[in-house]
Amino acid sequence: MGSVRKFDSKPKINGSWKFLDDYQSEDMIYGNIIYSKCHHGIIKDIHFPNDFNISEFTFVYAKDIPGENIVPEPVSDQLFLAVNEVFHYGQPIIGVAHPNKVTLTNFIKKIKIDYEELPAIIDIKECLDNEKNHFGREITIDHRTRDEIQNSWIRHHNVYYMPHQEQAYLEPQGVIAEYDKQDGIIFVRITAQCPYYVKSGVESMMGSAVNDVVIETSEGIGGAFGGKEDFPSLLAGICSLLSYKSGKPVKIVLDREDDIKITTKRHPARIEIESYTDPATKKIEKIDIDYRLDAGAYQTLSPVVLARGVLHTAGGYGFPDSFIRGRLFRSNTPPNGAFRGFGAPQGFAAMEAHIDGIAAEMDITTIELRKANIFNNGDEFPTTQKVTEENLIDCFNKVLEISDYQKKLKSYAQWNKNHKDKKGIGVSLGFHGGGFTGNGEKTLNSEIKVVLEKNAEVKIFVANTDMGQGAHTTLAQMFCEAIDHPFEKTKVQLPNTSKTPNSGPTVASRTIYIIGNLLKQLALELKKKYKFDKLESYIIEHNSEFPLELRKNYIQPTSVFFDEESYRGIAYKDYSWAACVNEIYFHADTYQIELIESWNVLDIGRVVNEQIALGQAEGGILQGLAYGLSEFFYKPGFGRMSGFTDYTLPTTLDIPKIVIEFIHTDSVTAKGLGEIPMDFPAPALRNAFLNATGIIIDEYPLTPEVIYKTIKEQK
Amino acid sequence: MKIRFTLNGKNVVLESAPLKRLLDILREDYHLFGTKESCGEGECGACTVLLDGKPVTSCLVNAIHVNGKKVDTVEGLSKTKLGKMLIDCFDETNAVQCGFCFPGFFVSTYYYLLNDGDNDLEKIKKALSGNICRCTGYQRIFDSVKIACARKKVGE
Amino acid sequence: MQFNKPKDLNELLENLSISQKKNYFLAGGTDINVQIKKEFIKDGNFYYINEIDELNGIKRKNEKVHVGALTTYRELLESDTISEHFPFLQRSLTNFASPLLTTMATIGGNIANGSPTNDVTPPLLVLDAELELISVAGIRNVSLTSFFTGYKKSLLKKDEIIKGVVLSIQAENGYETLYKKVGARKTLTIAKVALAGLKKIKEGKIDEIKLAVGSLNEYPRRLDKLEEYLNNIMIRDINKNTIDEILSKEITPISDLRSDKEYRYRVCLNLILSFLGINH
Ligand SMILES: Cc1cc2nc3c(=O)[nH]c(=O)nc-3n(C[C@H](O)[C@H](O)[C@H](O)COP(=O)(O)OP(=O)(O)OC[C@H]3O[C@@H](n4cnc5c(N)ncnc54)[C@H](O)[C@@H]3O)c2cc1C
Ligand code: FES
Ligand code: FES
Repeated sequence: MGSVRKFDSKPKINGSWKFLDDYQSEDMIYGNIIYSKCHHGIIKDIHFPNDFNISEFTFVYAKDIPGENIVPEPVSDQLFLAVNEVFHYGQPIIGVAHPNKVTLTNFIKKIKIDYEELPAIIDIKECLDNEKNHFGREITIDHRTRDEIQNSWIRHHNVYYMPHQEQAYLEPQGVIAEYDKQDGIIFVRITAQCPYYVKSGVESMMGSAVNDVVIETSEGIGGAFGGKEDFPSLLAGICSLLSYKSGKPVKIVLDREDDIKITTKRHPARIEIESYTDPATKKIEKIDIDYRLDAGAYQTLSPVVLARGVLHTAGGYGFPDSFIRGRLFRSNTPPNGAFRGFGAPQGFAAMEAHIDGIAAEMDITTIELRKANIFNNGDEFPTTQKVTEENLIDCFNKVLEISDYQKKLKSYAQWNKNHKDKKGIGVSLGFHGGGFTGNGEKTLNSEIKVVLEKNAEVKIFVANTDMGQGAHTTLAQMFCEAIDHPFEKTKVQLPNTSKTPNSGPTVASRTIYIIGNLLKQLALELKKKYKFDKLESYIIEHNSEFPLELRKNYIQPTSVFFDEESYRGIAYKDYSWAACVNEIYFHADTYQIELIESWNVLDIGRVVNEQIALGQAEGGILQGLAYGLSEFFYKPGFGRMSGFTDYTLPTTLDIPKIVIEFIHTDSVTAKGLGEIPMDFPAPALRNAFLNATGIIIDEYPLTPEVIYKTIKEQK
Repeated sequence: MKIRFTLNGKNVVLESAPLKRLLDILREDYHLFGTKESCGEGECGACTVLLDGKPVTSCLVNAIHVNGKKVDTVEGLSKTKLGKMLIDCFDETNAVQCGFCFPGFFVSTYYYLLNDGDNDLEKIKKALSGNICRCTGYQRIFDSVKIACARKKVGE
Repeated sequence: MQFNKPKDLNELLENLSISQKKNYFLAGGTDINVQIKKEFIKDGNFYYINEIDELNGIKRKNEKVHVGALTTYRELLESDTISEHFPFLQRSLTNFASPLLTTMATIGGNIANGSPTNDVTPPLLVLDAELELISVAGIRNVSLTSFFTGYKKSLLKKDEIIKGVVLSIQAENGYETLYKKVGARKTLTIAKVALAGLKKIKEGKIDEIKLAVGSLNEYPRRLDKLEEYLNNIMIRDINKNTIDEILSKEITPISDLRSDKEYRYRVCLNLILSFLGINH
């Protein structure tokens, strides 16, 4: 396990690394979005303030769009700019630009739009509880194998609610678009995860009005976590049109308040689980899961989140009989989107809580119950995919060991007898499929490019971005280590769609797993073909053959087949596994849960760079803990939050000690790491609270207010 | 109004609106882009600089506050001996992820090292509690700061 | 918006005495900058007061300590005078905002912004602090308990500013203390509930008790009725229900995005009972 240092750390710390807003150019003007403040309505009138010189502003409306007024998405149903009707708060209506940032801001504040208000659904439960709000394709995974329910089996039935979660990347969304009239080219610089998504967004917007669209990311991408997967396409589209119309480079950087109010979030979910457990064997014989996501006003990429969600929600358990139904629900809120975990955190939050609920109802330990049901070699996923390893069991055993679980469990039970405050400890399991779901990687057909220069410098061209996860360091490292080439001479180039082939989006924990392993293969093939010992010496000896450009495409193994209709087959070739133990302290006077320690054991296969992997895991785990404990975005009756004053992220003083151990690190394959740390910590926290107090809460996050309400209602 | 202040050791004079934010002065008038804006309301620390040697969120400081004072930004502090040592410490532990919060963490830590520098984890947490990071779980940042505290002691 | 930078206190007070519009003072600016950004302040006279010497400094005069309105949180937290005579006050301030805010935020600004959630008022209330208000007419002292009159309303007249806070050097002497700020996280948080308490207990009897709360009414206040009930009572004679009954008349918590009124009420009650050492 190497621990090469990140090549970009120092310039990031000393402030010289350029993030989007750090790019300047002479005649650049500033743009912004005028968006709906109505949840659902018909636009009646737009009043501009009359103390501004309107001629100094550039405006773009839906009618000005030369291409199609549709943001390309898995389901392309979202408009760039509203036409007559708005379907959610935050829906863009007009793009506007002005040379002076302050003037622009003041102008926008004074614009008034009249609406004829129409009925709107903004409440999460109102949306998800009502079957009428279902829209889009329904997914079912039908693995029912028996008809009869035996009398002795114990039924456990519950509904779990999961909230929105805001990505809260510290660098807000931003883009600069520059239209070159001479060549008819739009150049877009953007803080985004997926340059090629942005490219198709701008192409859709501009249609045949331009000859070409080139997307390049900013040097620094200040966090993304999924939040910069699809929203940038919308932003870039509007910005490009502003540049096209004004003839000037236009920069849009969202203010934090706007960013929080109008961009995508993690989908709120309602998951209903009904299970039947045999008390003799403690085996869960039958399970039925109804998985619902609040997609917001448009489907956009929600069907993909739904797909991953239903494929993960049954947890790491070999159920002989299962039925899963997944649906999207419509509300009048901004479309929800990608966030680290992509439907899996909601699924595990419900499933892992359910497991502890069953154990509580049957009065057996959660450990016994998990041991009786956890994935064994030969078990099946609901998709009928066979489990071919027992690495989840290894994670589970290891985490119980390093957390000293059994001893703590006993001693806290004792302690709790004499104290008003309570101590508790809880467990959870998780897994995450690497890469795109099912045949997705086949369709993507990712391509990478490597150029070997005369001076033995290796330039790697991939469209995958480094948004802090260290991807560009780790990718270079994988190439180098395969053939023992110096790391200093290997560099991933800044993604630019005119130079970088489409190696797919930076999502789905696929960057190292798919692209990294592809680079490694390419390096090994190179070595085999040219039979060198050291690439450097080979290049010196055969200098005239260089520079040399190499390309390689990802080919999905034929063993991977997934039927998108029946949802049967191999959904993912490789899975990462994890188990977690969380310890909490419950303050009885204030109903607050304090996190004490979190132990996490992960199997992500080979660990390429241990420090980078640990950093990734720590960050993801903290996001997961906050998902369970404190982060929410909407409160019935009081609406949605508008900044970091309300949406409180954990500070240095709020975090527990986080212990992480990777196992099976000697595997050949480096599997996905990006998302799994987010998937599982929340339910272990909820289960720890149950262990501490005996109180069942089926709603996340476990804020002191929710806890107090539950206690009061139980009395 | 005219404001005069010392910016990273140099005396400067600037014509500015009295309420203009120090953050905008640094970025727009002096092109010092290391100081970042994330929340614009004191909640995140991405815009941290030293004002007369003390850490402040520059998004809440006005031009008029700065008049006659000393401002040190990440660009200046990172060139000092202490600053370079600190950067090495962050680098060694691969603590940095997206990096957007790091100039702020750097300045807060710099102040802590100069004025306390004790190895104690609770003190370190407190000193950095105005700086939010969404990528890391903070652990690696604490590790780096501990190393820096130890190195500073040895250096003294 | 009219901007002024008076050269000293006299000029400021002169200006105020003839000003027609609403006056705003730029002290540390941590509050007012957010208000401007959110457009809560649109018009008015702006006075930069942050460098007016007469409003600065922590000074001991006989049995009193004068804390100038411009004293920053950082100065309060680092002051030897405060740590010597008012360790409870100092401890209460450690969870204010964040270390970055303490450099600029002033005690005068915190009191003057009049927020029901402001951190400094509850501990000052139990310390029986007085405020010095100044105008061209001179200085008048008012007790902090009577200063606030409604939501963001106070006795401060249009031509007045807060000059400072006056504390008796004995204010903390001999008391057991409690300060609890309950927020969504440990720092950088707006209090959902704040409770400050001083008590003297002798042989099972409450000799004296002072309780003040924040975030539970239109402004932070002392719990006079509850104090009245508790003063001179034997702890074993305290009736939980009576406390509940009195408290329900003295605090009027609300529900908002941050918390619920039922929760706020109950936590306040719990904290008081725990402070009194009563099982609940
Ligand atoms: C991120 C953040 C976190 C915060 N956290 C907390 C917290 O934890 N607890 C808390 O209590 N507050 C908090 N605040 C609010 C604010 O920081 C404090 O109220 C601070 O003490 C205000 O002081 P200032 O000097 O910055 O006030 P300014 O912003 O300069 O002024 C605030 C108001 O007071 C008036 N004023 C100022 N000085 C005087 C005077 N001498 N006489 C009369 N009027 C005057 C001004 O006109 C203005 O209306 C926070 C603010 C931010 C932005
Ligand atoms: S931008 Fe200043 S504190 Fe966040
Ligand atoms: S490294 Fe990204 S926010 Fe801190």
